[in-house]
Amino acid sequence: MKPLRTLAAGKLKGKLAIAVMSSKGGVGKSVVSALLANVMSARVKTLLLDLDVHTMASAKLFGLEGRVHQVSKRGLEPFPFGDKLGVITLSGVVKDRWVLLPGANQALTMESLLAYSDMEGWDAVIFDLPPGLGDEVLVLGRVSDYLPLVVTSPSKVSVKVVEYLLKFLSETGKRPVLTVNMAYYQCQGQVVRPFGDGRALKELTERYGVPMVELPIDPELEEFVGRIQEYDGPVLEGVREITRMLER
Amino acid sequence: MHEWSIADAVIRTVEQWAEGRGRVKRIVIGVPSISFLDTDILTQAFDELKVGTSLRDANLQVKIKEQTFTCQLCGRRFTLKDVEDQVGEVRSEFGEEYPLHLIPTLSPSFIKCPSCGSRDVMVDNQDVTVEEVIMDETS
Ligand SMILES: Nc1ncnc2c1ncn2[C@@H]1O[C@H](COP(=O)(O)OP(=O)(O)O)[C@@H](O)[C@H]1O
Ligand SMILES: [Mg+2]
Repeated sequence: MKPLRTLAAGKLKGKLAIAVMSSKGGVGKSVVSALLANVMSARVKTLLLDLDVHTMASAKLFGLEGRVHQVSKRGLEPFPFGDKLGVITLSGVVKDRWVLLPGANQALTMESLLAYSDMEGWDAVIFDLPPGLGDEVLVLGRVSDYLPLVVTSPSKVSVKVVEYLLKFLSETGKRPVLTVNMAYYQCQGQVVRPFGDGRALKELTERYGVPMVELPIDPELEEFVGRIQEYDGPVLEGVREITRMLER
Repeated sequence: MHEWSIADAVIRTVEQWAEGRGRVKRIVIGVPSISFLDTDILTQAFDELKVGTSLRDANLQVKIKEQTFTCQLCGRRFTLKDVEDQVGEVRSEFGEEYPLHLIPTLSPSFIKCPSCGSRDVMVDNQDVTVEEVIMDETS
């Protein structure tokens, strides 16, 4: 019997669960998770659950550093942004302090965070995961039937390793959506692709039958770190496209 | 306050397990000593949340499980008593809802080996467990 796992699974039952995953780090999972949560919250009550317990990037993106979650009878109260967007992060438990854990503790910590989160009344939960295929993917798989949103950068290394993830996901019967972040930028009306034409990626998505959305590089994004919920630039346009893909 | 969540977790878990097996009389759970859970709140939460469930006649018994820490670097084995001061510091920094109360598995991030100072520490007995479910044989 696993009480915390049962509680986490029970809380997630019937909710739309989206796992933002990647094979490599630094490709934009946390940014995409945050923007996706914001876009989705226009329609449904959306909770962003930061499962990257080492980076806790959502706390930095939303300007939550040093703040701690209130704990009520229903668990950890999400940090609210308006009444339809909420964020839960381990940073709100450890108060923006580093976390270093042996593997088994990492999985149990994630399970606790899931179990103790107050998800009552939230329709959708977006999980911002750490990179790669680690414990967190297994932990999440035990408690939810998540929809994977795989993020990659267009660099050759990322593209090569993203195939691992697509293979794993298709083996488990999941139908991922692929996001190529930082695929291009607009310069004086021209589309520039600094990492090449993305042909290898197109081939990959065709091979696995995975829908793909490209997101641009936006240097302005950096200015919204700490208040990402206010960002309304070109990357957000692409993220709206992602929500349409996820709905299909 | 997350004692309520733990009670909720125990009820959901035992309800699932006991379905079709009869009436549950008593549930024994194990909670890690390092989390300093309030057992009164825990049983009170259980008694309130069990109303209207199949466990309405069950009682909760809470067993405190002691942890053994093993340093992976120098091999030292130690107990909570040996790191009381460290735990005390965390408690005074964070107050009531301090991290190890909420998520005891975070302990390697907050506790170091009292001999060599390493953070590479393994801990046992650190999660909430259902130790025993006693059925009502008369029903
Ligand atoms: N489309 C983009 N345009 C500009 N900067 C971006 C974009 N996507 C991500 N970044 C930046 O790249 C860095 C890594 O992004 P992050 O979301 O933290 O990656 P991950 O979560 O995959 O490790 C961050 O500093 C972020 O602001
Ligand atoms: Mg991240």
